Amino acid sequence: MEIWRTAWRNLWRNRRRTLVTLAAMALALCVMILYSGLLGGYLRDMERNITALEVGDLQVHAAGYLDDPSLHTRIAQPEALLARLRAGGYRATPRLLAWGMAAAQESSAGVSFRGVELASDSGVSSIHRRLQQGRWLDSADPQGIVIGRQLARILAVSPGAEIVALSQGADGALAAGLFRVRGVLQSIGDATDRAGVFMTAAAFRELFVLPGGAHQIVVRRPGTLALPAAAQAVRAAAAGLDVQTWRERMPTLASLLDSARGGMLVMFFIVYAAVAILVLNAMLMAVFERIRELGVLKALGVGPGGVLALMLAEASLLSLLAIAAGAALAAPFLHYLQVVGLNLASLAGVSFMGVAMNPVWRAHVNAAVFAEPILALLLIVAAAVCYPSLRAAFLDPVQAMRHS
Amino acid sequence: MEKQQTPQPESIVEIEAVTRVYRQGAHEVHALRGLNLQIARGEFTAICGPSGSGKTTLLNVIGALDRPSSGSVRLEGRELGNMSQRERSAMRRDRIGFVFQSYNLVPVLSACENTEMVLALQGVPRAERRAQVLRLLGEVGLGGMEQRRPDELSGGQQQRVAFARAIAAQPAVVLADEPTANLDSENAARLLDLMERLNRERGLTFLFATHDPRVMARARRIVRVEDGRVAQDELRPVA
Repeated sequence: MEIWRTAWRNLWRNRRRTLVTLAAMALALCVMILYSGLLGGYLRDMERNITALEVGDLQVHAAGYLDDPSLHTRIAQPEALLARLRAGGYRATPRLLAWGMAAAQESSAGVSFRGVELASDSGVSSIHRRLQQGRWLDSADPQGIVIGRQLARILAVSPGAEIVALSQGADGALAAGLFRVRGVLQSIGDATDRAGVFMTAAAFRELFVLPGGAHQIVVRRPGTLALPAAAQAVRAAAAGLDVQTWRERMPTLASLLDSARGGMLVMFFIVYAAVAILVLNAMLMAVFERIRELGVLKALGVGPGGVLALMLAEASLLSLLAIAAGAALAAPFLHYLQVVGLNLASLAGVSFMGVAMNPVWRAHVNAAVFAEPILALLLIVAAAVCYPSLRAAFLDPVQAMRHS
Repeated sequence: MEKQQTPQPESIVEIEAVTRVYRQGAHEVHALRGLNLQIARGEFTAICGPSGSGKTTLLNVIGALDRPSSGSVRLEGRELGNMSQRERSAMRRDRIGFVFQSYNLVPVLSACENTEMVLALQGVPRAERRAQVLRLLGEVGLGGMEQRRPDELSGGQQQRVAFARAIAAQPAVVLADEPTANLDSENAARLLDLMERLNRERGLTFLFATHDPRVMARARRIVRVEDGRVAQDELRPVA
């Protein structure tokens, strides 16, 4: 028996039923491809926002700093470690951290001071490109600072305004300085938006009387290296220091992003369950309508395997048609979502678990965006056709031929 | 001194003490009750009897479609009752041709494809089986109709396709269950002419389950089955 030709013709015996089933499968696949692309884009942007803006892939601190963040707990020789990391293909930058108060006119707020090395920081973080107003730090303007957007609102300042910074220096004396706002950041994340004050490392050292060392080294791994492997290599290079991945630094967010992928599987299951019922119904009808004919095939010597192969061939052809139609339907929409995206400007400034959301939600397109929904569809169809196919395969030919 | 025996024609079907009991709810239906029968190669035999007498069950048992509850059924010397499902499928495919009352062609396949189905199952190369089937369809009077689907053929034509399908693989026996029941006189006569000719020319063995006097008139042996047993076995002279 030429199975594929027979299966193809059988598929079109009930044209309307086949078209309805096909349309439902294709539509479900299209929806899942778009959903998969959008979710992939969301997760990629979230991870990018986490790692590219402030946190990096990995962070190195002096032992004990994270338990008790003190101005005095520093990486003593950051230059040596930075050199080792850069030699290994990593991008890395030191940061200086301290807490204090900022005041402008009538307002004041608790702030987090961050001293950055301008040359190396721009290779690690893209925060210097995320300005809402004004300009990024400049080594030629040591009194210039960049602050978070919420802080700017609290202090009622804009670029050009003066701010007084107050804290305690490493020498124990009052650390106070007058700075001028050079820029206000876009939404970066809760902590930075409300309290972030960026200044050059030189200005920070002068304000806090810190001649050397760094509180933190932010590391970005080479693009092809997996995070666990990168963590292992950096730990080896930073013996005696505390090395943490961004996932360890933000475990709740990391597990939430992981569970978003799990959520995609749940979504697959829900959408495809409806499809599975439809396919199951169509295949059961196909068996019951042809029960006599299947009995004849068995009487003529077609074994259970032959009947099973015929039913599976019909389901396979139906799936292939649905995949072609669903992918063709999804492709232009996905392209639009990748290039133009969904405008979330109305959510500007909204953050998720402390990480800012991008104003445009774009889909991420790769092979997996198509492959995963297609694979899930094939698995669901395979599960749905098992019962009717096995039933057809093991029909008793005498009983089947008596069927009217 | 050994007794000299007259050579007997080779038995193709040997049935000994076959019973077939069906269960219908709490009741047992005895379709065959210790039936004995032998069919020799080249016979043209009609099995007749009233409805419910066991004709179709007998044909199903001989055709390896049904298993006897007890007794022995041998086809070309091979015991069918002991065979696995796979062996029975292979036996049906290779050694038995079926003709059914309602033709039972596959509606999505053309006359040619229906006829070559068993050959395809046997793995006969496409070109070879196609040539064989075209010749066969010509022989049954369907030349030029090879590409027609069943719904484009008359009842008589469909039954000739079914017959061509049954004999395409050169079976040991053709089992025909009421083959003329849905045919008018002209088509029934045409089909029976064809069967008779192939029986005569090729020695093909035919076994009919029938009520139809047109079939019984042509049969050279009539086995009457009643209550699951052979009630009468009549050999008739060749016309």
